[in-house]
Formats: sequence, structure tokens, C-alpha cells
Amino acid sequence: MTQETAESSLVSFRPLRLSGSQPFTQQQNVYIMIGERTNVAGSPKFARLIKDGKYEDAVRIARQQIENGANVLDVCMDEGMIDGVAAMTRFLQLMASEPEVAKVPVMIDSSKWSVIEAGLKCLQGKGIVNSISLKEGEETFRNHAATILKYGAAVVVMAFDEQGQAASYEDKIRVCERAYKILVDEVGFPPEDIIFDPNILTVATGMDEHNNYAVDYINACRWIKANLPYAKVSGGVSNISFSFRGNDVVREAIHSAFLYHAISAGMDMGIVNAGMLEVYEEIEPELKQLVEDVLLNRRADATERLVEYGETLKGKDKAAVEKKTEEWRNGTVEERLTHALVKGIDTYIEADAEEARQKLGRPLAVIEGPLMDGMGVVGDLFGAGKMFLPQVVKSARVMKKAVAKLTPYMEAEKEARAAAGEVVKAQGKILLATVKGDVHDIGKNIVGVVLACNNYDVIDMGVMVPCEKILERAKAEKADIIGLSGLITPSLDEMVHVAREMERQGFKLPLLIGGATTSRAHTAVKIAPHYSEPVVHIVDASRAVPVTTSLLSDESRTTFVEQHRGEYEAIRKAHAAPKQQTVSLEEARRRRTPIAWREEDIPAPSFTGVRVLEDFPLAKLREFIDWSPFFHAWGLKGVYPRILEHETQGEQARQLFKEGNAMLDQIIEKKLITARGVYGLFTARAVGDDVELYADEKREKVIGRFHFLRQQANKEGNEPCRSLADFIAPKEYGLQDHIGTFAVTSGIGLKELTDSYRAKHDDYNAIMAEALADRLAEAFAECLHKCVRNEWGYGQSENLSTEELIHEKYRGIRPAPGYPACPDHTEKGEIWRLLDATTNAGIVLTESFAMWPGSSISGLYFAHPQSRYFSLGKIERDQVEDYSRRKGWTTAEVERWLGPNLNYDPGR
Amino acid sequence: MNKCPKHPLEKVMESRIAIIDGAMGTTIRTYGMTEADIRGTRFADAKKGLLNNGDLFSLTQPKMICDIHRRFLEAGADIIETNTFGATSIAQSEFFVDDPRERGGRKDPEFYQKVIEDKFLGDLAFDINEQSARQCREWADHVSNDTSRQRFVAGALGPLTVSLSNSPDADDPGFRVVTFDQVKTAYAQEVRGLIAGGVDLLLVETIFDSLNAKAALVAIREVLDEQGKQIPIMISAAVGRGGETMISAQTTEAFWNAVKHVKPLSVGLNCSLGPDLMYPFLEELAEKADVAVSSYPNAGLPNPLSETGFDFGPKDMAGYLGDFARAGLINIAGGCCGNTPEHIAAIAKALEGQPPRKFGASAEEFASQVNAGSRA
Repeated sequence: MTQETAESSLVSFRPLRLSGSQPFTQQQNVYIMIGERTNVAGSPKFARLIKDGKYEDAVRIARQQIENGANVLDVCMDEGMIDGVAAMTRFLQLMASEPEVAKVPVMIDSSKWSVIEAGLKCLQGKGIVNSISLKEGEETFRNHAATILKYGAAVVVMAFDEQGQAASYEDKIRVCERAYKILVDEVGFPPEDIIFDPNILTVATGMDEHNNYAVDYINACRWIKANLPYAKVSGGVSNISFSFRGNDVVREAIHSAFLYHAISAGMDMGIVNAGMLEVYEEIEPELKQLVEDVLLNRRADATERLVEYGETLKGKDKAAVEKKTEEWRNGTVEERLTHALVKGIDTYIEADAEEARQKLGRPLAVIEGPLMDGMGVVGDLFGAGKMFLPQVVKSARVMKKAVAKLTPYMEAEKEARAAAGEVVKAQGKILLATVKGDVHDIGKNIVGVVLACNNYDVIDMGVMVPCEKILERAKAEKADIIGLSGLITPSLDEMVHVAREMERQGFKLPLLIGGATTSRAHTAVKIAPHYSEPVVHIVDASRAVPVTTSLLSDESRTTFVEQHRGEYEAIRKAHAAPKQQTVSLEEARRRRTPIAWREEDIPAPSFTGVRVLEDFPLAKLREFIDWSPFFHAWGLKGVYPRILEHETQGEQARQLFKEGNAMLDQIIEKKLITARGVYGLFTARAVGDDVELYADEKREKVIGRFHFLRQQANKEGNEPCRSLADFIAPKEYGLQDHIGTFAVTSGIGLKELTDSYRAKHDDYNAIMAEALADRLAEAFAECLHKCVRNEWGYGQSENLSTEELIHEKYRGIRPAPGYPACPDHTEKGEIWRLLDATTNAGIVLTESFAMWPGSSISGLYFAHPQSRYFSLGKIERDQVEDYSRRKGWTTAEVERWLGPNLNYDPGR
Repeated sequence: MNKCPKHPLEKVMESRIAIIDGAMGTTIRTYGMTEADIRGTRFADAKKGLLNNGDLFSLTQPKMICDIHRRFLEAGADIIETNTFGATSIAQSEFFVDDPRERGGRKDPEFYQKVIEDKFLGDLAFDINEQSARQCREWADHVSNDTSRQRFVAGALGPLTVSLSNSPDADDPGFRVVTFDQVKTAYAQEVRGLIAGGVDLLLVETIFDSLNAKAALVAIREVLDEQGKQIPIMISAAVGRGGETMISAQTTEAFWNAVKHVKPLSVGLNCSLGPDLMYPFLEELAEKADVAVSSYPNAGLPNPLSETGFDFGPKDMAGYLGDFARAGLINIAGGCCGNTPEHIAAIAKALEGQPPRKFGASAEEFASQVNAGSRA
């Protein structure tokens, strides 16, 4: 919520855009965390590693920073004993070779220009230079800025000029304005890439002239934001509290209160040790008042009073201080859990979680109760800018620890229920991911835990997951549902992208959408229309289970999906998105595929009727296997056979290939699965958009009929409006045309085989068997199509290699009902009737016209040389009415089956 | 800073999709040239085989190369590329300098320092670039006059045979065979040759390694500054299955962030794994970039069974690029490896009358209207 309001209030925000190997885009009103431990001046440990030449260990520190939530890594080698150019170059080159570290943009931090330039030569992405200033005059400043622009980096400009450091408000804004004008007007520097550091100077030094330093900085932030368009503000935070060295309680409170006020005034980023930050809301009220008196310069004796108070903290012995800080331990267990989460304290979390479990009776009650409440508080504070990202990450870790403690109890509960005779099987596999570009996953983690507690098999892919990784994994894991999460606004677009890709790749899984900025309306209007399967918005973790249960249940799915579609359709109607341009059915039929019907294009098959293939030899199918998808199924990218020689995946691919073939040997030798198929060729004619099948060559007795649909999109140029009916000779030509149809499976016995592996907890071989069965089914379809082309005559001369077959370089097509050219699954019913595939091939159609067992394929054969695959796209009400007349259905039934293809709102 | 006047190519791209040519290497192979043909007299005594050093044909078989340029222009290309994919001292050293690894040595910055200082290699690189640019210039102008349609010459800067982002040394991930400054120097030599030959555009293409590309972009800036010239820059990356630059593994948006500052005339994707696998990343780029977007993919993957040695024929490529155009993703279209003049002709025909992607100020306006609409 906070984000949306902020966005509309400020029109002229241009985010800072950076990159490592991954992009980083600043979010408005979200503070950028700069990791400061890879700075020899800030971290003695890092300095020691660099001096000792232990660069690899130093890179590990960079990695920890990223794990702790740093958006940008500050790298500084300014130390007398270190050769800055060499150290900067070597460290950045090592970072570039560590993929997890290379993702993040780098801030090259040096007061030496030669070190900065050396650093710029190592960055493939867009980093930040920290810093340049007018200290040495305009010419040097201009040259340095031009060079930075040439390399493509953002720049931190310190508020220094020839006279020195700008301390007062007036000096700060004067120097910043002067620098801004030179950069923007003379150098041509993009203003959004300019980051001012208007000097955070130490307060409470005892000198009156220092008392207004914090106020000056905060006011300078505000002035820069108002007067220097798109410029950003940064600063080194720990300076502010320098006079309280040794008193970390006061320092942490000062940092936090200062950041709170500076960020409100427009500060975009800063360098601060996340371990030296108190949560603003948690600062002890008296201390907070005293600190703010100092920072905001509210009273003359503010410093004295804070020093005095600080002394009392110091004065008491350490135990007393600790005792004070341990007071929270006296609260109820629920309060303690909340406190621990908000403060990120893991010391007692396991004991408290256990106590809560005993108190509340069930482990799930602890998670759904106090733990989720605590994370809710964290979420609210973060949203209000009162907690910072690293603190949130710490909280999430504490949460994880608590859940880990409770997990064995949940397992035990599950077992107990199983022992009591309840059926406890995994409800389904749900893949969760926070989308690319977004790191927020607390909500998603909670959804994951709740789902897992309800017996779902949850695969959590974590954060920043690119679309292609999500979809690959969903395929490899055979997920039943994909859930996407995101908190920031750009994630919404990424979700649309994922939905589109799922459609393009022909996914059949429901998609769940969740996260703070997502909404039902957005999901219905912007995401759902891009994907034909259900796309459901989940408002919070408590709603996840009812939705997933409905979606995966055979009984209630249809009702749920229908109701859900109706609701979303109503939302969309309210938004009234413009529809696709279409033509009338009449016009579309005039634009049918232009085919000059000639006798020589209509070969006669060697037989008509139905042929059954009992127990088709698997060894024969093996020759037709397209192995590339087999590797894809195992998450290895690449094309067979080259993948076997791949530099990094080759070894694993060879191993898989060997084991796959070994299992295939066994399957073939011991006949572990059976391939069965049935196909038929029939005399046929196109009658309108239907194809009539006849008993014999006399073409009098109609024995079957396929109903096809026609594209209605108004395409530019002379692209026709295609229908599969176009590829069969129309009745009026009197030609002797034919159509074919088939159903094959290699899944007979597969379930028994995989069950036997799973009984031995051998998931690997179970999956292997499934992957091989799928390949055999595809190979069967390919092999049978080849036989049919031969029997049809026109295929005898084709002489294609397996590779060419895989690329479908032959004449004719074999589209399947339920796929883009013919999206109506129910046409499979006609295939089954004609072929009696249930008896002849052992494949059953479910009520939703899916084939059982899996590893089955069915379709139609078209032989005309101009027949081709296409996607139906959107159709209009006139065609739906015509189609329902042809099929003898109500329009409502047709609309239900063709929902995704409708270019109108059926509810109207 | 005043806004520069619009480049004529930019105007073309606002009204229609501009066409860039196809693959030099693939087309050369159809002429059946031999080792003797590529050597001519100039390289008769070279120690290593040169047949795969296709850039040399611009010096030894200019007739054939000009014939290919002419065929691409007649096929409808608005932009032709110079035959200079490997015309740097660094890339040429592979063909003319003994490999120290054969004698137990290694290639390192010391080796490449000698390469970029080598007079023979430096002169050769300059000659190829200048000659090729002149040949392109001549035919582009010729066909422009004949057809009354302006044609453009893009000076092509290829990706080099070395990487600034990767270490070939398994024991030292921080090692690099070459330095940024060496790469920059080699590219600067190339740019000088291209400019001397009269190119209209400079095209940094087939970017596998974004840091190499950055060195090329810095070199271009420095040479243009040194000569006081303005020549528009085009940028094109080659990406893998995850949309990452193939060697330095930078994702599409990250890459755009890293090169946006040069204000290129266009940014895009070429080569890669073919048009089918390029789609999502082109979509991402089209969404993020505020300049023209180009796409000239390979004709699929190498396929020894096919006539051109690649998966896709002219019709297939026309279909794919037609899809890109209909989705509003591109302003420049053409082909990379595997695309002959017949491919380009088919692509040009398929894109006739297709509206180009909206970009620049007009696109921003368009987007803000859309946003305003969705809020209402």
C-alpha cells in the first residue's frame, strides 16, 4: 500500500539503474543497502585478508554481504600498505568469476583516481564511482566525470570544493548545485546517475557549531530532492555518532533515528554497518527523545543530557545493562516470539517455540498464530520505513529457526495420523518462487510452510528466480501448481511475463499469484488473460490451502474454476479492456486457406479402416527417440548429441544417458512396459468447417464427423483465417480425400514400475522410468506417423533421418485436440469412438478428456502438402453459436470448453 | 546539451522496419573458394591455414565480396555490414602468430602486448577494415542511386577470441589473458580503419562478453573524440538460453543498463541460438530499452544435413521475424550465421508494411497513456 501511494505522489522519480550480471533498479522510497564490509577502512578483517593475499576468503565476505541483503557492494582498498590498483583489479576480477557475487553492482570506493580507473576497467555491468569532488577544481572534476560517463557508471559527488568540505547547509547546497550544473549541462551526465554525499558530520562533540550538523544534512537532502531533478543522496552514516565511540547502545539508537529522518527527507542510500542499527520503533522512549533532541538540535542542553544518559548506561555494570535488555523475557510466550522476530534475536527462539507448542497444543497453531503475527509486525515496520532490509532478513532467519524446531512435531503428527488409518499422501506438488528482480519472500515462505503442513510437497525456489528457471523446474519436477510471489511493483510485470511464457510453452498448470502489491483486480485484468489455465490471486497464506485443495481435487475443480473464471470475468468487464480485432465468421470463411485442389496432391492410402498395434516392439521405438527433451526433463540444457560433449554438463549428461539406456535395455528386455496403439484411415470430405468421414469409397454413409474451428483474428496482409477443415478436399470438388487418426501409449505398466521404485524410496529411477516412457510415447507417435505416410503413399520417397523427423521436415501434420490448432479437447471423444481406443489401445479418456495412462498421445493425420500447424487464437460469438449448432451443444457448454479462446465476455 | 538532429536511419526506423544483411561466412562458402583463393599473392607464404579467416577475402577476392554485398542490397537490406568480424590485431594473431602454448608457454598480457604492438598485424587490421568499408560504401551508394533508397554501411566490430571476464586458468579464477587497455587499443585500430573507409555506423556485435564490448565502446568514444566526429553506434549481444551474454553471463536488462550511456542508435540481439529461443529476451529488451531494437538471429542451430548448414530456410526465418514484428518488438531485422541473400529477401518481404516498434519519446508517451488508462 505504502508503495502505491508513494508512487502516485511523486511524478518525477527516475530510478537509479545499475547492474552486475543481474540488473538492479532502485525502488522509490526503498533505501538502497550498500554492503560496507568489503572496505579495508571499514572492516579490519577484510583489510587483513587483503594484506595477507587471501583474496578468495575476501570474496567470501562479499558473498556474505549479499546474503545479508546488500544491493550494492562497496569495495575500497585505500590503505597505506596496499597497492590499490593491483588489489582493486585482482579483487574485482575474482568477484567477476564468482557467479553469486558477480550478480551485484559494485561501488568502486577510492580517493585515488588511478584506483577508480583500474576498477572501472573490471566491471562488465554498471557500477558506482565513490567519489569525485570539486576539491581540485573544475577541470579535473569535469575530466573525471567525462571518463566515468565513458565507462558507464553512476557517480558519488562529495560536497567539497576548492575551499574544502561543505559543512553548513548553505555551503552544502551551493557546492551540490554547482557540481550538478557542470555534470548535467557541460559533461552531459545523466542526472539520475548523480549521487550527492553532502557530508554527514559528527554531532554532540561539545562544540556549539556542530550542533546543527544533522539538521543541515537532512535539510540538504530535502533541498537536493526539490531542486536538483533526479539526483540521489547518500552518506556515510557512522560518522554522525563518532563522539559516542564505545557506547554502542547510544550509537545504534543515533544511527537508526538519523536514518529514519534522513530517509524521510529523501536520502536514497548510505554506508552503514547493519549490525550497528537499532529498530527505530524499539528505541527506548527516553533514549529516543534524547537522541532526537540532539539530531534535530531541539534544545541547547541536548548533548549534555544525552551524554549524561549515556554515562548512566555505561556507569551501570554490564550485567545491569544486559538485565535491562533482557526484560522482554518476562512477557508472555507470544510476546516473546514477536519480540524475537522483530529484533532478530535467535538466542531463545527454539525454547520459546517449544513452549508455545505446548501451550497452544499443535505446532501449526504456533506458526499460524504468534509467528505469523510477529512477521506481520516486521512487514508493517518495513513497509513504514521503520525497519531496514538487513533487519528483515535477520527476522526471517529467526522465523526459519523456529519453524525448523517445530517441523519434527509436524512430521510426527502426520505419522500419527497415518498410523491411525488416515490417508496421508502428498496432496500435490507446489512450486513457489519470488520472481526475477525481487528479493522479498517472507510471505511466500509462510505460504510454503502452511502448504507443507497441509501435506503438500513444496518446492521453494527462493528469490530472484528468472522465468525460464521457474518453468524448467516446474517441468522437471512435474509440479501441479506454480505460485509466484513479489512485493515490489515491477514484479507485477514479471508475473505477466511468466504467465505469457507459460501460455507460449503450453503449460497446463494453475498459476497462483501472491505478495504485497498484487491484487485480485490486477491478477484478473493483467495476468489471467495471458494464460489459458486458472490464474488465482491468493490474498494471504490462510487462503492458499482452500484454493490449492479445490484446484487439485477431481470433484470440486471444475466448479471452482468455473466460479473463479466468472468472478474474474466480471472484474475484467469492469475494466473493459479493448478486444482483439476480428472479422465475422462469414468473412473468415471467405479468407480460408487458399488451396488449389488437384488430384495429384490427394494420394490414396493402401487401406482404409482401423488397425491395432498390440504390444508394439519397444526396440523399434528406440530408434525414433528424440533425446534432447530427456535431458531437459533432468534439467540439463542443450541439444543431443552435442550435450554429451558439453564442457560443464557433459559428464552428467553422459552419466544420465548411460543410465537411461541401461534402464531402457531392461525395460525392453524384461518387457516392463507395453506400447499399444491404434490408428485408422477414413475417406473424408470437408463440409463447411466440419470433416465428414464415410464408411467406404462410395462416400454415402457418414460414420463420423470432426468439428473444427476457424481463426477470426483480422490479420494484416493476405494471411488467411485458417481451419483444419481447409486441409481436406471440400465435398464440391468430388476428390477422393482421406483423413487419419491415432492414439498411442507407452504407459501400460508404467505405474506399477514407478510404484515399485518409489516403494524402495528410489525416486531417481521412478523419474527415470517416467522420462523414458514419455520419450517412447513421442517416439511411437513419430514412428507411427512415418508408417502412415508410407501407407498413404506420399511418404515412401521422403528418406529422412531421425533428426529431420524430430524437426518435422516431412509432408503432412498430426495435430491433437486440445492443442492450438484445435483447442476443443472434446473432439478426442470422436477419435475414441472411431478407433475404440479404450479397448484397442488401453487408453481411457477422463471426464475432462485427458488420457490415462500418461505417456499417451492422440491426434489426427492430414496429408495435403499445404497442411500446417497454426494457433486458433480468439473467436467471436457468431462462431461459437455456429459451432454449438454443429456439435448439438448449448452455447454455454461451448463457451465453457473454449473459454480462453473467446474474444468476448460470455457472461454478458 | 542540444539534441542531435535525427539520423536518417532513425527516420527510416520510425516509419518501417529497417533490414540488415545476412551472414558473410555462410554466403562465402557457397562460392567454393579454396585456400589458394584466400591467400592470393599477399598471403601466399603464410604458415598457417587461412581459409577460415574470411575477412581476408575482402583483400584477396574483392569481386566475390562485393558480389555478396550487392546481393544483400538487392535482397532489400537497408544496412550492410563490413566483412570485418575478426579484423583486429588480436583476432588476426590467431592466424599469423605462433601459439606459445605449443611450446609450453601461455597466452597472457605479455603475449598480447606484443600482438597489439606488432606492425604487420596492426597494418593488416587497418587494411581489412578500410578496404571492406570502401567496398561496402561503393556498393551501398551504387544501389542507393539505382533504387533511390538510401543504404547504410555499418562497420562491424566482432567479439574477439579472448575474454576480459573469464579466466582460462582453472587454478586462478582471477587470471586474465589480456588487459582492458590492450583490447581497447585493438578495437581503436579497427575503428580508425572503418572510419577511414567511410562507414555510416559502428556496430559492436555478437557480444559474448560485456566487458569486451565495453572496451570497444570506450575505444569508439576515444577515436571519435580524437577525430572530432559523430558516428552513431549500434549494439547487439548474443545470448544463451537464459538470456545471458554467452561468456560473461550477464542478463539482458543488466546488459542494457551497462551500455545505455553511449546513447546507441539501436540495441539488440543477434547470433545466439536462433530466433525461436531469442523471443523472451528480445521482448525484455524491447520493453526496457528506449532506443531502436534490432534482431538478426542465426538461422537456428548448425545442422550439417541442411543445404545452408543451418536449421532454418528463408521461409522459416521470415516467419519468425514476422512474429517479432507483429509483437511490436523490432525496428531492425535481418539474419546472422546461416542467412543467405535469399533469407534476407524473404525476411524483407515478410516485413513489408509491418509497423515498426515505437521507441523514444513517442513510446514513452504511449506508455504513459496506457498507464493512465489502466489507473482509471
